[in-house]
Amino acid sequence: MTTNTQTAPARGGTSSPAGPGDRRSRRPRAGGPGLRHRWRDLASRWVFLAPALVILAAVLAYPLFYTVWISFSELDLATFTPARSVGWMNYRTVLEDPGFLNSLKVTGVYLALALPLQMLLGFGIAFLLNVEWRGRGVLRALFLIPMVVVPVVAGGVWKMLLDPLWGFVNYVLGLVGIGPVNWLSDPTLAMVSLVLIDTWRWTPFVVLIASAGIMSLPGDVLEAARVDGAGWWATLRKIVLPLLAPVILAAFIVRWLGAVKMFDIALAATKGGPGQATDVVNLYIYEKAFRSLEFGTASSMATMVLAITMVLTFLFLRLNRYLEKRW
Amino acid sequence: MVTTTAPTIDARRRPARRGRAGHRLRIAGSIAAALLFLFPVLWMISTSLKLPRDIFASPPRWFSTVTLDNYTSYITQADIGPRMLNTVIVATGAGLLSIVAGSMAGYALARLPIRGAGLIGGLILASRGVPPIALAVPMFLVARRFDLTDRHITLILAYCTFLIPYVMWLMRSFFMALPKELEESAMIDGASRLGAFFRIIVPCSLPGLLSTLIFSIILAWEELLFALVLTNREAATIPVAIAGMAADTEQGAMWGPLTAVGTLTVIPVVLFALFVQKWLIKGLAEGATKG
Repeated sequence: MTTNTQTAPARGGTSSPAGPGDRRSRRPRAGGPGLRHRWRDLASRWVFLAPALVILAAVLAYPLFYTVWISFSELDLATFTPARSVGWMNYRTVLEDPGFLNSLKVTGVYLALALPLQMLLGFGIAFLLNVEWRGRGVLRALFLIPMVVVPVVAGGVWKMLLDPLWGFVNYVLGLVGIGPVNWLSDPTLAMVSLVLIDTWRWTPFVVLIASAGIMSLPGDVLEAARVDGAGWWATLRKIVLPLLAPVILAAFIVRWLGAVKMFDIALAATKGGPGQATDVVNLYIYEKAFRSLEFGTASSMATMVLAITMVLTFLFLRLNRYLEKRW
Repeated sequence: MVTTTAPTIDARRRPARRGRAGHRLRIAGSIAAALLFLFPVLWMISTSLKLPRDIFASPPRWFSTVTLDNYTSYITQADIGPRMLNTVIVATGAGLLSIVAGSMAGYALARLPIRGAGLIGGLILASRGVPPIALAVPMFLVARRFDLTDRHITLILAYCTFLIPYVMWLMRSFFMALPKELEESAMIDGASRLGAFFRIIVPCSLPGLLSTLIFSIILAWEELLFALVLTNREAATIPVAIAGMAADTEQGAMWGPLTAVGTLTVIPVVLFALFVQKWLIKGLAEGATKG
C-alpha cells in the first residue's frame, strides 16, 4: 500500500495533487469570494468519490472490521451479535484445529501446482497462437469461452466428464488401456482433478494476456538476434523472457488474486473431498461458519487468511513494480 | 484484432523452408489446443440435448435422438425461471450501480486534484486481495440481524465489494488516457465538473464504459459464495441452483438438467464476451496491475 501512496501520483503524472487544482481555481469564469469558491471546488471533487466511498465503507470496510471484532468474541447465536470478548481464544482454537491447518496446506498445494502450470501452458499456447494466419482471430476468440463458463458449471460438468463409470475422460483413457481411474474419490487424484479443472478454466486467460504481450515484442530485436546466430534457447532466455517479465508477472498476479479465492469449483466438483483432500481454506471456513455455525472461529480463520493474502499480494505487487522499473 | 506490423515483416523475411513447416506445426498445435479447451463446453451442450439412456451410453455418443426434455421438464419443476430472473436483476443491478459509482470515482482519481488520491488508489488495489469469505461471515450476521437476507438489494450491495474497485481501477486508467482538453474546454464554457463529466467525458468513453459494464455483469452473474450465504429462496440465483444440482450428481441422475441449466447460463455470457472481446482482453490485462 505504501508503494502506491508514493508512486501513484507520479505514475498518474497528469493529476499531481497541487498543480492543476490551483490552475483550475484561477479559471476565468470563477467569481465570488475566494473561500466560498474554494470550498465549492473541494466539494465538487469529492462529489465524484462520495458514492463509491460510502458504499465501500458500508459493505467492505465495515464488514472487515466486524470480522476482526467477531474473531475476538463469542457470538450469541440468538441475536447473531458478538456477546463477549474472549481475547485470543478463537485464534488458539483455530491454530490447534488440524482441519484448518490441513486446509491451508491443501490451498498451498493447489496454488503451487495450478499457478505455474497455468502460466507455462498459457504462454506455451500463446506462442503457438503467434503465427500470422487467417484463423488466428477466431482461435483467440474461442479461447475466451472457457474463461466465461460460470465456475460452478465448470465444476459440475467436469465432475460428469471425470465420472469413473460413464465419464468421457475414462472412456478415452480406456481406449488406450488405462483405467478406470477414480478421479474424484482418490485423495491425490482429486487434487489433480481440481487443478485440472481450474487449469482448464483459467489457462485461456493467461493465453490472452500472454499473446498480447508476445505480439508487442519488438520484431527487429528478435530478427537481429537471429541474424547474429542466436539459438532459440539463448533468444528465449536473454531476450524474450526479460522483455516479457512484466507481462508474466501481471498475468501471475491476476491469477493469484483469483486463485486464492478458490471456492466454487471445489464446492461443485469435490466438496472438499474425499475426506479433506481438496478442502481449500475458503471452503473450510464456509463450512465452519454456515454449517457448524462456529462464527467466532470462522472469523479468526478469515482474519488470518486475510492477513496472509494481503502480505503476499503486497509482495507480488512490489515485485511487479520493481520489474516494471527495471525493464 | 490487434495486429502489429513487426511480426508480419518478421515472418516474411524468415527462411522459407524451415519457417513454413514450423508455422504449419504451430497452427496445427494452436487449433488442437483450442479444440481441447472447447471440448467440455461442446460436450455439455451435446449432453443437454440427449435422452437419459444416451447420456449413459457406454461408448459415449455425440448425438442420437435430439431432445429438449432436459430443458422443458426440469426447468419448469425447479424454479429455474425465477432464479434466472433473480440472477438477471442482481447482475444488472450490481453492474449498473458499480459502473456509475466506480467510474465517477475512477474519474476523480485520474483527473481531479484530491489529497489522498494515492492512498485511496492503494486501498482500492489492496481490496482486490480481500478473500470474499472474510466479508461473507459478517454480511450474513448483519443481514440476519436486520432481516435483510434473501433480498436482491443485499446481494447487489455485496457484489459492489468487488465490482466497484474493479470498475474504479479500469476506468481510472481509461480516463487517464483521454485528452485533458476535453473537460477543460467544457469547463471554460461554464459547465460544472459534474456537468462536464456527464455531458463530455461519459459520451466519449462509451465503448470503455460499456465493456466494463458487461464484464462487471459477467462477474456478478457467476458469483456463488455471497449468493449461497445471503439468499435462500426468494432471491437465490442460478449458480446457487447449479451448486445444488452438482451436489446431486453422485448417481449421475442430474446430468441432463445440470447440463441444460449450465448451457442456458453460459450462452448469454459467451455471447456478451465475444461481443466485447477486444476490450475484455485489454481490460483483463490492465485491470490487474497498471497503476
